[in-house]
Amino acid sequence: MGEIVIFGGDSHPELVKMICDNLAIHSSKVQMGKFSNGETSVSVRESVREKDVYVIQSGCGHVNDTFMELLILISACKTASASRVTAVMPYFCYSRQPDIPYTNKGAPLISRTSEERSDEFNKSLSTGLTTRKPGAESPFEGPESSIRSDGGRSEDSKPSSSSSNSTSNSDGIKKSVSFSRIPVIADGKDAGSTKADAGELFNAQNAGYKLWVAQAGTLIANLLTTAGADHVITMDLHDPQFQGFFDISVDNLYCKPLAQKHIQFGIPNYKEAVIVSPDAGGAKRATSIADALKLSFALIHKERRSQLLKGPPGATLSSGGTFSTNPKPLVSHLHSADMHPSNSASKYVQTTMLVGDVRNKVCIIVDDLVDTSYTITRAAKLLKDQGASKVYALITHGIFSGDALSRIRQSAIDKLIVSNTVPQHETVAYLGKDKVDVMDVSRIFAEAIRRVHNGESISMLFEHGW
Amino acid sequence: MASNSIKLLAPDVHRNLAELVAKRLGLRLTDADLKRDPTGEVSFSIGESVRDQDIYIIMQIGSGVVNDRVLELLIMINACKTASARRITAVIPNFPYARQDRKDKSRAPITAKLMADMLTTSGCDHVITMDLHASQIQGFFDIPVDNLYAEPSVVRYIKENVSWKEAAIISPDAGGAKRAATLADRLDLNFALIHKERARANEVSRMVLVGDVTDKICIIVDDMADTCGTLGKAAEVLLDHGAKSVIAIVTHGVLSGRAIENINNSKLDRVVCTNTVPFEEKMKSCSKLDVVDVSSVLAESIRRLHNGESISYLFKHYPL
Repeated sequence: MGEIVIFGGDSHPELVKMICDNLAIHSSKVQMGKFSNGETSVSVRESVREKDVYVIQSGCGHVNDTFMELLILISACKTASASRVTAVMPYFCYSRQPDIPYTNKGAPLISRTSEERSDEFNKSLSTGLTTRKPGAESPFEGPESSIRSDGGRSEDSKPSSSSSNSTSNSDGIKKSVSFSRIPVIADGKDAGSTKADAGELFNAQNAGYKLWVAQAGTLIANLLTTAGADHVITMDLHDPQFQGFFDISVDNLYCKPLAQKHIQFGIPNYKEAVIVSPDAGGAKRATSIADALKLSFALIHKERRSQLLKGPPGATLSSGGTFSTNPKPLVSHLHSADMHPSNSASKYVQTTMLVGDVRNKVCIIVDDLVDTSYTITRAAKLLKDQGASKVYALITHGIFSGDALSRIRQSAIDKLIVSNTVPQHETVAYLGKDKVDVMDVSRIFAEAIRRVHNGESISMLFEHGW
Repeated sequence: MASNSIKLLAPDVHRNLAELVAKRLGLRLTDADLKRDPTGEVSFSIGESVRDQDIYIIMQIGSGVVNDRVLELLIMINACKTASARRITAVIPNFPYARQDRKDKSRAPITAKLMADMLTTSGCDHVITMDLHASQIQGFFDIPVDNLYAEPSVVRYIKENVSWKEAAIISPDAGGAKRAATLADRLDLNFALIHKERARANEVSRMVLVGDVTDKICIIVDDMADTCGTLGKAAEVLLDHGAKSVIAIVTHGVLSGRAIENINNSKLDRVVCTNTVPFEEKMKSCSKLDVVDVSSVLAESIRRLHNGESISYLFKHYPL
C-alpha cells in the first residue's frame, strides 16, 4: 500500500485540520468549487497514483452538495489510479430512515419519531403541565378571550420564531403554556402545511393503508461504492444495521469512550447521576454507557396507541391513563393535544412514561443524533417535572437544523455535551460557552485512519477511545 | 409487457415541462411527494402503487441546485425500484455534469461517467435525454440511452419565426461545428464557424470568423448557453463582419450567473432556448428570450418507448 494522502471536503475543514494535526501530516491540496450553473467542480492538485487516499467529508451543511462533492472527489481519486480510497464520514448523511416524510422543520428520526408530529411539542409539553397542575403555572388563567383576541402573541409563543423572542427563557415557556391551553387557537395557528401533510399520512396509516416513504439508505451506500470508495469510516451510525447495506467494509466508530470520559471528568458527582434514554430506540446505547460507568438508568417511553375512542373526551383521559392508577413505579403521562375534541380526525392517545427514579438526581440524556431537538427538549422537560436537579444532554451528532438551537436554549437542558462530527461553532456562539461542551472526535478518527492505513486492528478504539 | 400501465412522475418544482408532456400524452402526473429538511436531505413518497408499471420520471435540472435535483432524481428512481416498478425511465432533457466528460487535466473527475454509474446504481433502466454535450456520454452507461435531438423542433422554429432564406448558420466554436453543419444542410443554408481560443472556462479570449456572413441573418446554434459571454462576443464579431442581425438558438438555456445581463447588453436580437431547462422566471426580466417547446418530442418518445416502437423517426422529424 502506498503512502497516505488525506483530502478534506468543504463541509468541516476544522475537523480535517485537527485529524491531520493528530497524524502529523498535511492534508493534500484539493480545490472544490461550483461552476456558474451550480455543478460541483473538483480539482485534485496532488498526485494520488498508487496512494492510500482518505477523503474526509461530514454529511453536514447542505447535505446534497457535500455528498456530491464527496462522490466526485472519490471518483476523481479512483480514476487517477489511487490504490485505495476510504471515505471518512464523521456524520453519515441520510442515515436516518424515517417512515414519515421530512418537514421543513426538520427530518424525523427512525421509528421513534414516527410516532410524533413535529408541531406537537408545544402541545404535549404544555398540556402535560395543565392536566397535572391545571393552571398553576399559567399566568393566563383568566378569561380565555383575552388571549384569544391576541393573535400576535400566540404567534410569538412559537419557539420557532427567530432569535428575537429568545430574550427570556421563562417568558417563552410561559407563553407557550398559555398558548396551548386554548387548543382551538393552537390548532388554527399550528395547522400549517407540515401538520396537514403529516396528519394525513397518519390518518391514512390509521385507516389501514400505509403510505410508505422511500428510504435512501441502501442507495446512499451503493452510490459510495459506485463512486469507487473501498472503505468507509464513520461514527455512531444511527442504525447499526446500516453497515449491512454496504458491499464494502465499513468501520463504525463509537463516541462512547469519549462520552464516558466527559461524564467522569466533566460532570461533578457523576456517580449520583442517572443516564436517561429519551426514547426506546436509544435504550441500548444509553444502557451500555450506564453499565460501563455503573450508573443507574432511566428510560422515557412514548406510546402512541391507535385506539378508537368513542366516548367524550373525559373518557379518553381515563382510558389512556390506565397506568396512573398504579402509584408504585414513577410513571407520568403526557397526553398530547391529539385527544382534544377539536382535533376530531385523530384517534390516538399518546402516553409518555418515565421508567426509573430521577428525583433530586442529575440526569444525563444520551442520544446519538439531534436534529429538530423535539425529543430531547421534551425529555428534559419531563425529567425536570419529575424532580431532576440538573439535566445534561450528551449527543454525538448535533445537527440542530431549523430552530433547534432556540428550542434548546428555552428548554430545561442545563448543559449540552456534543461532539464535533458536525461543526459546532454556531451552537457554542448561540448557547454560550458555559452551556455547551464540545467533545473532540478528531483523535479517534486520526487513530482509526492510522490503524486502517497500517492494517492494524481498530477494535481497541471501540472500547477505549483514544 | 404484462402490465401495460404507465405512470409519469415529476418533482414538485419545475413541473411545467412534465405537465406539458402529460397533457400531450393525455395522462395525469402521479402524485409524488418530495420533502426536504433544512439541511437538504430528501424524503420521498409516492401517492399510489407503482408495482409492475412502466415509470417515467421527468426531471428538469436547471442552474443553481444541480446536486439537490440529482439526489432527488436518484432517490425517486430508487424508491420506484424498491416499490417493484417494472421499468424506470429517467427523462433528463438536460443531462447534468455533461461537460465533465473527459479527463482534461490530471486527476480531473469524469463526473458524467459518475452520473451514469449513479443512475444505473439507483435502479434506472433507461434514460431519455436531449442533445447531450458529447454523444459519447451514451457509452458511459450500461443501460440504453436515447439521445433525442432538438434539431427538428429548432428547424420548425426557424421556418416559422425567421426569414430563414437569407440566414446563415453559425457555430460559435469548433466543437459544435458538426451540429451546426447538420442544421445548415437541413435548411440548405450557408455555414460559418467562429474559432475561439479559450483561456479559462466561461471566459473568451480571441475570436476568428471563418466564412462569409455579409448581409445575412446569422443564427448561432449551440447546445448550451451558460453565462452567454461567448454568444455576446460572437454576435459582435458577426456584426463586425457585416451581418444584418444575429439571433442565437441553444438547446439548453442554463443561463446562470450574469447571463441575463450579458444578453441584455449584447447585440443579439433574440436568444431562443428550448424548455429543457426551466427559465420561465428569466423570461420576465429579459425580453430577448424566446422558447421552443420540445415537450411533444419528449412525449412522443415516451409513447414510442412505452409501446416498443422505434424512436429514430424523431431524430429527423417533428411529431405533429
